[in-house]
Amino acid sequence: MGKGKPFLEVLASAMHEDFRFPFLELFAFLYTLGTFALANFTVGIYSQVGTNEAVAYAVTSSLIGGSLIIFIILIFKNVAYGLGSDLEKGIIQTYFSYPLKRWAILTAKLLSGIGVSLLLFLGIQISAFYILAPDIVLPQFSTIILTYAANLSYPLFISAIMLLLTLKLRRGGIGLVLGIVLYFGMNIASSIAFFVALATESALGLQIISVISPTYALQYHYGGLAGLSSSLWTPTLAETMLYIGGSYVIVAALFILGYIYFSRRLNL
Amino acid sequence: MKRWTTVLGRGGTMLIAISLALLLVSLIPQIQSSSAKGGGSISAGQFSIVFSPGGITPQQEVQVDVIVEGALTVYLLEINVRPQFINGTFDYGFNLTDLQELLEEHPEQIIWEREVENGEYKRNYVPSRLMNATVVVYNMGSEAAKLDYDIALKSSLAPGDKVRTIAYFAAPVGVVMAVPWLLSGWKQRKQK
Repeated sequence: MGKGKPFLEVLASAMHEDFRFPFLELFAFLYTLGTFALANFTVGIYSQVGTNEAVAYAVTSSLIGGSLIIFIILIFKNVAYGLGSDLEKGIIQTYFSYPLKRWAILTAKLLSGIGVSLLLFLGIQISAFYILAPDIVLPQFSTIILTYAANLSYPLFISAIMLLLTLKLRRGGIGLVLGIVLYFGMNIASSIAFFVALATESALGLQIISVISPTYALQYHYGGLAGLSSSLWTPTLAETMLYIGGSYVIVAALFILGYIYFSRRLNL
Repeated sequence: MKRWTTVLGRGGTMLIAISLALLLVSLIPQIQSSSAKGGGSISAGQFSIVFSPGGITPQQEVQVDVIVEGALTVYLLEINVRPQFINGTFDYGFNLTDLQELLEEHPEQIIWEREVENGEYKRNYVPSRLMNATVVVYNMGSEAAKLDYDIALKSSLAPGDKVRTIAYFAAPVGVVMAVPWLLSGWKQRKQK
């Protein structure tokens, strides 16, 4: 028997656990409804810079805004609660009896918990965007993808930390609470950094935050907040891409740590 | 075989869920953002700007309804003309020469045009990107013509017809995909 079949067995079992009927359907419904109900194209008309890219960024951000919280709830549930409960119930120990390396088991769990959720989120959002404004999506596809990449970096960063904590503590409760605290904490931190930057006329705080959450770098690249910050910090596109790349390097490093812990240090 | 039925079935139920959300979106009524209603006579060779909401978005729809006695051409142009208060009067800063130049040299800015002769004409337009819009009525004939117009800009979550059509296609596909899985689940429960 090849390695593919046991991997698919574990993936199918993980998906069955993560998306019990009607969870998948409920989230698909919420993503669709949320995308249309919370989209606000008027922000594009009042975009600070007024270029096609800035308009596409403003519109994409408005589209992501509301639905991102639904996506975050789903991946937090799958990573912290799903994996934590599998560790507590001994389901992971059962997976260890499969002829599979440990990293493959974790990959199957993450593909189910994060990969499927991400596919659902991006699939519905970009299709909805295309239905609404095909003449924005096609010419500005790279700006749209960049905006999604910047916005998804921080949720993935929190997911990686939750994964590490869940593996270390072998239950998901504390990881879930920390994830929620980190998510709202970043909003508070960015607000403080903004006011500190205005008071000190130094964008250092904003730049530090952008390393973890590059959505701020992208926001300032496309004009910032109501003209206040345009003189404060206007990163170039290359700098913004660097922040996005850097944030994904951090996310990847955290996930690799999770893999190393799961493969070598996790004693069940 | 059973696993494929499950995968197809869950895909089907997901399509049904998306269709239901789209139907719900299409049922939410439009709200009126702005409107223009009026009428009058337009002399030969003259034009009138009857509606200029500025920028419009894919979540908005321009609804045009005009009644013409005589012959007039109705244009929806991709321009933004705003009235300005100059020397005690409101002026659009857009004259007949500007209009003729635009029609001849920039046809890409004509979203649609229609010649109406002694009758009523209705048309709705939903943009597929953010754009400017202005409704202009031009009398190219040699005689004056009478015009009555009722133009509105309506806002909605999404273009209802488009979204409803997708839901009508997706829901039956979802049902076909989900039925075998739902039946096998029902049979299993019956056996237990």
